[in-house]
Amino acid sequence: MQKHLKVILLIISVTFLQIPLSYSNEEETVSGISYDEIYDPIEPINRAILNFNFFIDDIAIRPIVKTYKFIAPEPVEKGVSNFFSNLKEPIRSVSFIFQGEFYKSLNSLGRFTINTITSIGTIDVASRVGMEKNETDFGITLAKGGVSSGPYIIVPIIGPSNLRDFSGDVVEYFVDPISNSVPNRGYVAIGNGLNERVEVDDQLDKVRGASSDRYEMIKSIYYQNRNAQLEEEYIQNLPVPKIYIE
Amino acid sequence: MRTLLILFSIIFSFSNLQASEVSEWFKKESNQFLEIINNNEGTENENYENYKYFINKNFAIKSIAYGLIGENIVNKSSKNELSLYLDVFTDYLIKTIYKLANSNSSSSIILKDVDIKDNIFIVKSIISDKKSSANLYWKVIDTGSSFKIIDVIVENTSYFVTKKSEFNKILRKNRGSLEALIIEIQKI
Repeated sequence: MQKHLKVILLIISVTFLQIPLSYSNEEETVSGISYDEIYDPIEPINRAILNFNFFIDDIAIRPIVKTYKFIAPEPVEKGVSNFFSNLKEPIRSVSFIFQGEFYKSLNSLGRFTINTITSIGTIDVASRVGMEKNETDFGITLAKGGVSSGPYIIVPIIGPSNLRDFSGDVVEYFVDPISNSVPNRGYVAIGNGLNERVEVDDQLDKVRGASSDRYEMIKSIYYQNRNAQLEEEYIQNLPVPKIYIE
Repeated sequence: MRTLLILFSIIFSFSNLQASEVSEWFKKESNQFLEIINNNEGTENENYENYKYFINKNFAIKSIAYGLIGENIVNKSSKNELSLYLDVFTDYLIKTIYKLANSNSSSSIILKDVDIKDNIFIVKSIISDKKSSANLYWKVIDTGSSFKIIDVIVENTSYFVTKKSEFNKILRKNRGSLEALIIEIQKI
C-alpha cells in the first residue's frame, strides 16, 4: 500500500507541477480565428501511438469485439455493460466526496448496493426506482479542483487522454475499493477495457471513414466529451458559424 | 409599466410562435431524414442523391463552409476560389453526413425541447433504434424564408466544432492555403 501511495503522490505532483505549462495556447491561427488550441506538444509521438493502436485494434481487439457483438444476445451485452458500470459506483462515490457532491456520492453508493444485491449489477434496478446514474471520475475531480488538462496524450492500447485525466485514471486504479478487493485486478481492468471498446464500437467504425484527419477528429471528439462533463450549458455555448446569406 | 408588460408579452408570444414553427419544421424534416436513413436499399448513387437533396434543402451550407475556414480566408480569397470551395465542401458535407448516418437504422426521432439563444434555435431530440438511443441536437437559424441547420450535435459531439479542428489543422499545415484544403477534402 505504501508503494501505491508513493506512485499516487508522484502522479499528483507531476500533474500539479505541469500546471504552468498546460494552459491552452490562445493563438491567432492562419485562418485568422483566435481559438483555444488543444495543447499537443508531442503530436508526432501521439500520431505514431494512434496508428499503433489502430493496428492492434484491427488485428486483435476489433475481431474479438465484432465476434462478441455477433454472438452475445442484446440482454447479455447490456448486462455485461451494467455489471462493469456498477463496479465503478464505489469509486464514483469517492470522486463525488472530493468534489463536495455528497448527495451524488450517497446516490452512487446506494445504486451499488441495490444493483449488487438484486442482480450482481447486471440490471440497473436503481434507475428504475429513481436513482439515476451520475458519471464522474478522478480526472473530473482534478478539473473541478482547478487542475488544467495538460498535454494531450494517446495512451498505448487505451486511447486518447490528457495528463490530468490519465493521472486520474491511474489514481483510480490504485484507490478503487473494488479492484483492491479482488484477487487479480488485472482481469477486471481488461474486462472493463473490452467492455468500453464494445460501447464505442459503432462510433469508431464511423470515425474510420468520415474524416480527412482521424487524429484531429478523435482529439476534438475527446475534448468535446470531456468539456460536456465539466461545463453547464455546454451545448448552448458551443461555437457556431457566422451567418452568411445563403 | 403597462407598455413594458405589453411589449414583454408581445416578445414572449412571438418567440413562442417561432419555437412552435421550428418544432413543426423539425417534425417534418426529421421524418424525412428517418426515411432517408432507413430507405438505404438503393444503389450507392441513389442513397447519395437522397442525402444530397435533404442537405441542400435544410443546411446553411455557405455559413458552415465559410465558418470552417474563418473570415480572414473568406475575405482574402477570390470569388472563383470561394465558389470552387463551396462546391467541393457541399460534396464533402453530403459524403460525411452520409457516412455518419447511413450505417444506422433508426426507428424514431422524438422532439424533446426547443431552446433559443442569440437567435439560434437549439432543437433537442432523441434518436433511437432497437438497441440504443442518443441525444441529437440541431442548431437552426431562421433565414426568413426557411429554417436552416448550422450544426448537428450527436450526444456531445458537434459536427461544426470537429470539422473546424480538422480544417484548421490542414490550413495551418499549408500556411492558410484554401487550394490545399480543397485538395485535401476532395480525398474523402
